[in-house]
Amino acid sequence: MFDTVLVANRGEIAVRVFSTLRRMGIQSVAIFSDEDVDARHVREADLALHVGPASARESYLNIERVIEAAIAAKAQAIHPGYGFLSENATFVRACEQAGLTFIGPSVEAVEIMGDKIRAKTAAVAAGVAVVPGRAEPAMSDEDLVEAATEVGYPVLVKPSAGGGGKGMRVVTSFENLRASIVSARREAFASFGDETLFIERYLTRPRHLEVQILADHHGQAIHLGERECSLQRRHQKVIEEAPSPFLDDVTRRSLCDAALRVGRAVEYRGVGTVEFIVSSERPDEFFFMEMNTRLQVEHPVTEMVTGVDLVEQQVRVAAGEPLGLRQGDVRLRGHAVEARLYAEDPSRGFLPSGGELLFVKEARGEGVRVDSAMLAGTRVGTTYDPLLAKIIALGSERVEALARLDRALAESITLGVVTNTSFLRTLLANADVRSGDLDTLLVERVLEVSNADETFDEAPSMDVLAGLAVTRLFQLEESSSRRSRFDVPDGWRVGDHAATRWMLLTNRDAAVEVSVVGNWREATVSLAGAPSTSASVRCFQCRALDERTYELLVSVAGRTSRMVVALEGRRTWVWANGVTTLLRPAPPTRGRDERDDRDGEVRSPMPGVVIEVSVAPGDEVERGDAMVVVEAMKMEHALYAPLAGVVTEVSVSVGDQIVVDQVVALVGAAFEASSP
Amino acid sequence: MSGVDEDVTFVSRVDPRSASFVENRAHQESLVQELRERLSVAAQGGPAATRERHVARGKLLPRGRVEALVDPASPFLELSPLAATGLYDDEAPGAGIITGVGRVMGREVMVVANDATVKGGTYFPMTVKKHLRAQEVALENRLPCVYLVDSGGAFLPMQDEVFPDREHFGRIFYNQARMSAAGIAQISAVLGSCTAGGAYVPAMSDEVVIVKNQGTIFLGGPPLVKAATGEVVDAEDLGGGLLHARVSGVVDHLADDDDHALRIVRRIVDQLAPRSPSPWPIVASEEPRCDPRELYGVVPQDSRTPFDVREVIARLVDASQFQEFKARYGTTLVTCFARIHGQRVGIVANNGVLFSESALKGAHFIELCDQRRIPLLFLQNVTGFMVGKAYEEGGIAKHGAKMVNAVACARVPKLTVVIGGSFGAGNYSMCGRAYSPRFLWMWPGARISVMGGDQAAAVLASVRRDQLESRDESWSQEDEESFKAPIRERYEEQGNAYYSTARLWDDGVIDPLDTRTVIGLALSACANAPLGDVAYGVFRM
Repeated sequence: MFDTVLVANRGEIAVRVFSTLRRMGIQSVAIFSDEDVDARHVREADLALHVGPASARESYLNIERVIEAAIAAKAQAIHPGYGFLSENATFVRACEQAGLTFIGPSVEAVEIMGDKIRAKTAAVAAGVAVVPGRAEPAMSDEDLVEAATEVGYPVLVKPSAGGGGKGMRVVTSFENLRASIVSARREAFASFGDETLFIERYLTRPRHLEVQILADHHGQAIHLGERECSLQRRHQKVIEEAPSPFLDDVTRRSLCDAALRVGRAVEYRGVGTVEFIVSSERPDEFFFMEMNTRLQVEHPVTEMVTGVDLVEQQVRVAAGEPLGLRQGDVRLRGHAVEARLYAEDPSRGFLPSGGELLFVKEARGEGVRVDSAMLAGTRVGTTYDPLLAKIIALGSERVEALARLDRALAESITLGVVTNTSFLRTLLANADVRSGDLDTLLVERVLEVSNADETFDEAPSMDVLAGLAVTRLFQLEESSSRRSRFDVPDGWRVGDHAATRWMLLTNRDAAVEVSVVGNWREATVSLAGAPSTSASVRCFQCRALDERTYELLVSVAGRTSRMVVALEGRRTWVWANGVTTLLRPAPPTRGRDERDDRDGEVRSPMPGVVIEVSVAPGDEVERGDAMVVVEAMKMEHALYAPLAGVVTEVSVSVGDQIVVDQVVALVGAAFEASSP
Repeated sequence: MSGVDEDVTFVSRVDPRSASFVENRAHQESLVQELRERLSVAAQGGPAATRERHVARGKLLPRGRVEALVDPASPFLELSPLAATGLYDDEAPGAGIITGVGRVMGREVMVVANDATVKGGTYFPMTVKKHLRAQEVALENRLPCVYLVDSGGAFLPMQDEVFPDREHFGRIFYNQARMSAAGIAQISAVLGSCTAGGAYVPAMSDEVVIVKNQGTIFLGGPPLVKAATGEVVDAEDLGGGLLHARVSGVVDHLADDDDHALRIVRRIVDQLAPRSPSPWPIVASEEPRCDPRELYGVVPQDSRTPFDVREVIARLVDASQFQEFKARYGTTLVTCFARIHGQRVGIVANNGVLFSESALKGAHFIELCDQRRIPLLFLQNVTGFMVGKAYEEGGIAKHGAKMVNAVACARVPKLTVVIGGSFGAGNYSMCGRAYSPRFLWMWPGARISVMGGDQAAAVLASVRRDQLESRDESWSQEDEESFKAPIRERYEEQGNAYYSTARLWDDGVIDPLDTRTVIGLALSACANAPLGDVAYGVFRM
């Protein structure tokens, strides 16, 4: 067995691997980039080594540096986690050459499964079906008809060029096929100038199933059951569970057998996942998609229902030990569901959020597991994957697991970084999700409804506003010298007391005004606008958890609950009733006159890195000219001149990391000189 | 005397379930209700249509301006909000101007804001008086002044009462110059007209902000210019923000709108030289242990009914703790040391008619507080000094004079609250308006006049009877009664707290429950000014 293992990864997976290493009595070594100097994974390892700048290519993906670190740390093995170098054959070879054990499969297995065509060929050779179809150059109508018969209905007729569903036709029977081919060709030609069509089996309401397999160097291979990961948004898994609510025992057995056959075909060793796609209407007919030759993000659901520590198994197999368990030892107990907590903003099209984690409280309780890299006081950037944590709940039945997961999400507090928690809870509340009637398009359908019913446009709840008001007033009092009646923030007046007002932006940037009359202990909180609402608020306790986070016991219109509020400059984070809300101040409105001479502030709507600055002070710009380009999560966002005039200030340069709403430049309006 | 000290913690003898308490409370509540209604009406300012026009131009109402200027949620000690009540056909609520002490960037400042919805913000006699009073408060307490200007200048129909005299319009600018010279910052935000004399408010200020396309400053407006020289020019070109910011240099900052202007003013205040340190130590505040809400039931409905003023003191001071001075001597005057909102005060409170001993005790105590840098709080409920042969023989006039002298000369801040009657020479010895307390307030049921209506009617009737009798004319009981009735009536009207506050004889009528807050705020304001030296030691009298 190894005495020292380096984990070539970061974030929650590094933290998770360390915990198993610690339990096994193995020293853990972390690597980190400039961006992660104070990250949680750095703190939880026995030793941490710097490997390069923030850019992953120069740090976590820099094979040479990673190997050097492992050698420097006297590690015998490297655990790659998932992502980064985990499925990189060059890295596997580099490990071998350096005399280090790569905790994972052989180079060959990695190479085969890394190549889509070779992987499918291997699966087919092992007697596992892939989605039937024919894609040959210049197929005639007759070729297509023949292919359809061979593939089996329903079929999908799709253009070779383009995308976005244009020219695609779902054909359920032979009668409609020819007409569909004609119209599809016409549309494909009109859209892409190319009328070439392919054909493949159309999977109605497809579901994503995958099987966890485990094999050693001694020819033993077992499976640990399946997982269902049908809840995806743009091919990114959101909620995963084990077992699948979709399979009966017979299908399960044949699915798991098929997975093992695929594994054997590449002499797999270690843990791996074989992914399948299945139509909701044909549970018995599953098709191989790909095999992931590493630990999966969603591995904890399997660990929860089997009680097997997959990381431990990986390490043992890598160390050459034979499997300690037989297929018959693997017993599934209960149902586990995992939700992925991402630093992304559902109300802004899931743009990466980022920011400083002001306060973190992870869920706890019976059947709840949290794999997390969150640590208060650290920054969540946009350089790497936005996964903050995984929350996994085990229940004796699926319904219990779902309920526990929802509670756990409600009790997870992450202030400072916008997360997808509310979206996850919306999904868990969905009737189809609850009944297990899943498919890979369900998430998009739920989102369409959320967007349509203006879920994201709602003004903050009275509870949230009360949390803001109480905390802001309390903080004003706390931060004063408390040596004068003037220090008591209660808006006292000789007559009617003055309201204290905050102009806030909703998720979709509408301004709302909240006003408060009273003090932090007792007040009336109102939301201006029609219909205006107000509630009487009493705060029984307000306790500072740290210099900017407060825990409150507040009664709003007679209902008492606990809240946690963090103040980040003028932004306020409120956790109340299991929901976290960010209240952003509306920027002061200035000027009624369009052609006034005020300065125009150019602000970044998101955090990111400045990749281009196309203006300099003194430059003349027209309204709408691009001035600065910001990159966040590989997307480029141009920031435009808000008015015509002269650039008076540029406060960023290329490479700068910027935060949301940061002013990057100022434009002074062109002044029409009319004076003497 | 901080923390628990049972020795000096007052134990109330008031029974909140007694019939008299319940009656007193009901009476006081009705008085406070009337006060609230009056304040609420006055706070609205000018007529609804005028206010709507004002807002439609994108301007904030004057109270909105004050809210935007002062620190969020901070208290604002407004002065004389009911000025000019019953005057000028009630067309000038609050005399068309808002004044008061507020916190701006943590600094106490005097705010003077014209209300353009009241006759264009023009100055009635009471407007001038209120503006000058605000400046006096600023000067005495060394408070930076922020003028939110939106005024057409003097109210022309009454020019003889606002223009020529010493305490008239011109005094405003005199005060600005003198205060600026004394290092008391003068800051203006021009949020509307500043015409003629009004133009000197910004012009005499240290730093000026103007709102473009809204604020104007000129000595003569377009109509006057046309009449005088025939030149035709519009207001913006004649004295608008851009002109003054770019060409004339009359202003220093150009703002987009009221909010923007007020944000600039806040930053200006933030840049002022630091205030001088508090002349007295301040400790943490403690709430009274005796429930302040019981104040309503403690004070009798009829001012002639005696009550123990300690019951009032206990409901105003920190932890209801106070140490009496000379508790057994001159007992019709209660003198004690206490704290209000953590600031030490020496309280002088009437507990009956003043005798020589009470006056001597008062004089001694005032000198003591002056020596010790303890601000004085007078709680007035005084019918006057005792009259009669024995008392004149005892020299009550000279003993009373000692107290009046001590009051007049004490350098520590003096605050006065008239909680009951304020009659005759009692008013002088208890620091009436003529003795320049830093602040003076009245409770809604308080009364102020040279003597009571009954006494005045009786005195005048006896003079009249003597005249008639010297001419051998008879005076029937009915005739005498009809002679006395209007006198009583006039005293009744003129002795009323609202009559007083309308004429700026005080700094406002306050809800008794607010007394503690008002004193706390005022003491904070007073602490901005350093104390001078004391010339004499304490005389034991």
